[in-house]
Amino acid sequence: MDIQYIGEHLLPGNLGNFFIVLSFTAALLSSIAYYFASTQNDLENQQWIKLGRIAFYMHGFSVIGVMVTLFYLIFNHYFEYQYVWQHSSKSLPVRYMMSCFWEGQEGSFLLWSIWHVVLGFILIKKAKNFEAPVMTIFSTVQVFLASMLLGIYIFDYHLGSNPFILLREHPEYMELPFVKVPEYLTNLDGRGLNPLLQNYWMTIHPPILFLGFASTLVPFAYAMAGLWRKKHNEWVAPALPWTYFGVMILGTGILMGGAWAYESLSFGGFWAWDPVENASLVPWLVMVGGAHVMLIYKNRKQSLFTAYVLLILTFILILYSTFLTRSGILGNTSVHAFTDLGMSGQLLVYLLFYVLIAAFLLIKNYKAINIDSVEDNSTSREFWMFIAALVLLVAAFQITFTTSIPVINKLFGTNLAPPTKPVEHYNSWQIPFSIIVALLMAITQYFKYKQTDLKTAFRKLLASIIIAAVITLLAIFALELYNGFLIALFFTSFLAITSNIDYIFKVLNGEVKKAGASIAHIGFGMILLGALIATGKSRIISQNTSGIDITKLGKEFNNMENIMLAKHDTLQMGEYFLSYRGRRIEGVNHYFDIDYFQRNEKGKYDLAFTLSPIVQTNPRMGNSAEPDTKHYWYKDVYTHITYAEMEPAEEAGHKHNDEDGYKNYASATMAIGDTIFGSKSLIVLENIFKEADSLKYHFGANDIAVGATFKIIDIHNKTTIAKPIYLIKGNTASPIDAEVENIGVKLSFKNIHPDNGKIDIDLSEKDTGSQEFIILKAIVFPFINILWLGCIIMIIGTVLAISARLKKTKFNIA
Amino acid sequence: MKKIHIIILLVIALSIAAIMGTVADSSTYASFKVAAANEGDEYHVVGKYVKDKGIEYNPQQNANRCVFYLKDNENKEFKVIYNGAKPQDFEMSEQIVVTGKATAGVFIADKILMKCPSKYNNTSDPSKTTNTSAS
Repeated sequence: MDIQYIGEHLLPGNLGNFFIVLSFTAALLSSIAYYFASTQNDLENQQWIKLGRIAFYMHGFSVIGVMVTLFYLIFNHYFEYQYVWQHSSKSLPVRYMMSCFWEGQEGSFLLWSIWHVVLGFILIKKAKNFEAPVMTIFSTVQVFLASMLLGIYIFDYHLGSNPFILLREHPEYMELPFVKVPEYLTNLDGRGLNPLLQNYWMTIHPPILFLGFASTLVPFAYAMAGLWRKKHNEWVAPALPWTYFGVMILGTGILMGGAWAYESLSFGGFWAWDPVENASLVPWLVMVGGAHVMLIYKNRKQSLFTAYVLLILTFILILYSTFLTRSGILGNTSVHAFTDLGMSGQLLVYLLFYVLIAAFLLIKNYKAINIDSVEDNSTSREFWMFIAALVLLVAAFQITFTTSIPVINKLFGTNLAPPTKPVEHYNSWQIPFSIIVALLMAITQYFKYKQTDLKTAFRKLLASIIIAAVITLLAIFALELYNGFLIALFFTSFLAITSNIDYIFKVLNGEVKKAGASIAHIGFGMILLGALIATGKSRIISQNTSGIDITKLGKEFNNMENIMLAKHDTLQMGEYFLSYRGRRIEGVNHYFDIDYFQRNEKGKYDLAFTLSPIVQTNPRMGNSAEPDTKHYWYKDVYTHITYAEMEPAEEAGHKHNDEDGYKNYASATMAIGDTIFGSKSLIVLENIFKEADSLKYHFGANDIAVGATFKIIDIHNKTTIAKPIYLIKGNTASPIDAEVENIGVKLSFKNIHPDNGKIDIDLSEKDTGSQEFIILKAIVFPFINILWLGCIIMIIGTVLAISARLKKTKFNIA
Repeated sequence: MKKIHIIILLVIALSIAAIMGTVADSSTYASFKVAAANEGDEYHVVGKYVKDKGIEYNPQQNANRCVFYLKDNENKEFKVIYNGAKPQDFEMSEQIVVTGKATAGVFIADKILMKCPSKYNNTSDPSKTTNTSAS
């Protein structure tokens, strides 16, 4: 049974496996060394720190080694490796090779692990007194992550999933016949990358998102270090900038995910409350709350316990969401979720390990850290910041609970299904929470720590309140905003924008450096406002124009959101007239060119723009539709193909085939001046003439040709001339038809009645039944750019806040 | 009683309300038998597409209506009317979750979630994916 396989490259795989084992052992060694460094006295701990550092560097470089090796395999198309075979193919463009890397679970764990390594390297340099305890936590996390890639059997338990496993040794394939063929590699091509991921957003979104995940480890590690080493006061200051860094990066990652969904998924929007989206939003909400409670502690030495809990919870929630999305438990509720690679048990152990340790440390230190909670003064800034954090926590709880329905079913044996209308369900909770959060963002900066003179605060706020109220009133009419909650959210989020702008000028005297928090709050207000307008007032314009009475099917049938558009047909859709021009095929992409016309004042149709939504064919993974969007500054027109026949693509070339696509519509005997009606046109016989151009038809002496001139007026009042010919050549009649393709009519000159000068005409029309068509859905999102602009402003604000904070801490230390 | 205590009580009350609200909004996974017995109630039904009976979809008449048969986990076949465009790759799906309610012997679905085994999970023979151009 010893087969010599031809063309395999086993060395890089062995090297990769070596790095995996090394990264695991080094992380273990580093945890132990840093543990002793944290607990030993001064003299010995330098030795331990040295060892811990060496071990962590070793770990870091071997993780990088694993990454480089895996990338090398993908880049060289070594399909003998299962991971490479499964996630890439020969035809894959180089720019998407990075995406192959994190398409699989192993690769995404690796990505996560690499960011921890990078952050760990920075902390080794910067954490000073906290290095040992913080790095102990880091290293243990890395032990768990490295174990995810081990892929070894301990007794009967399969620990981790190895990215360097050979295809022929993979348990799923090792029984298949190809394994017996020594030259199986010669013609082997990979399965290819999921087309949904072949998108530029997917090359930048996962690294950012995983950096966001990784950055929650830093405040967690500081908090754990604080609890463990009883440095309850000291950990907050160094952890604070890291917490805001996490808020910024994770927030960016989540919004990029939204942008990706909006640009290349076809669910029609940027947020769908999908469990996978929720899983990263929830930790973010809790971290934002935690970051603000840290500020309370920093300024007032209050609410330390809450700060600990929220930052620990953030990281635990990251682990929980990893568990949710990777254990396969979401199977029936999410399309994004990974399937189980048999690692759910491992993930659960990982999760419980930190939950138990954190709970133990919190209980042990409860007396020491449960010092002052926020004082009972509702005119203080800290009071309202604390309330805001609590609102965020409750909001996070609501989302988690609904998302966890499959987990609840598992635990309690229930048979609950997620809400049938998830978006409405989540919105009914989250919109009220957003209203409160926006209001608090607007007013809290005007409160002072300890105590505030409410009159002064109100006076300062008055101008912003008036502006926001006026704009809200205008918006109610302009946007037809007739829902109480939406009006309230519009007002509070707009107030958050105006009051924070005002704050920068009035209180901070326009000093941008100090204005980080205000700018970030403006950005977040804009995100809420943009989301509210874009989704609350989005219009599905591909609705109900087919002329078919939908209501007769019953009330239940009013969710008709797709229309059919036949080739060359024109349909009205909202303010646009759509015409499907045809499809272009470029590689695996089918582009459907759809012209959007608008009627101008003169009643003429102007081409407004052309959209080319894509259907990407992939026989192995299924075709996927990618929308195309026309961006205006004040609105987006979004279009995607919900259905298209993918087979008749070749037919486009045989359009002139006589039988193809035309159906007899009417026959008539006509005199000059007579009119016949087509389904979409009006056809007038203008004159009959004798075709004199004898050369054109190779006339013989007795041949005759008679032509007829028809004026065809289509529904857009456009006139086209068509001239069918009646030809008698050598005693046989052979008519030459006139086809007008853009209207879809064909005229055949069948006979002449010399006695009365009338002619017989057959009118055929393009049969939409056999004609190529597409089904599409089109949505207008008004003012969605407010949302994207808000994202950018929020990022800028957070960066400013972090840099201001860093300068301050440096000053304090010096 | 301090204000903060009142607020904490409020938070707890809200959390309980969130739990109740979720349970109230959630529907149930059920079989067609249960759905048919409780006409008008919303259910999620998990099943397999009955390929032999095909799917009826005439976009020329109505782009938002497809009719097909689904066999649930209790092997009961049921006619499903989905008010939407036929999903791409419908035939390839291994498992389908339909959301909606039964009325007069048919299941009116307003949501479909398809699980294509090939999309996220891969269990096909590698030898089938070799390209034959070299031969």
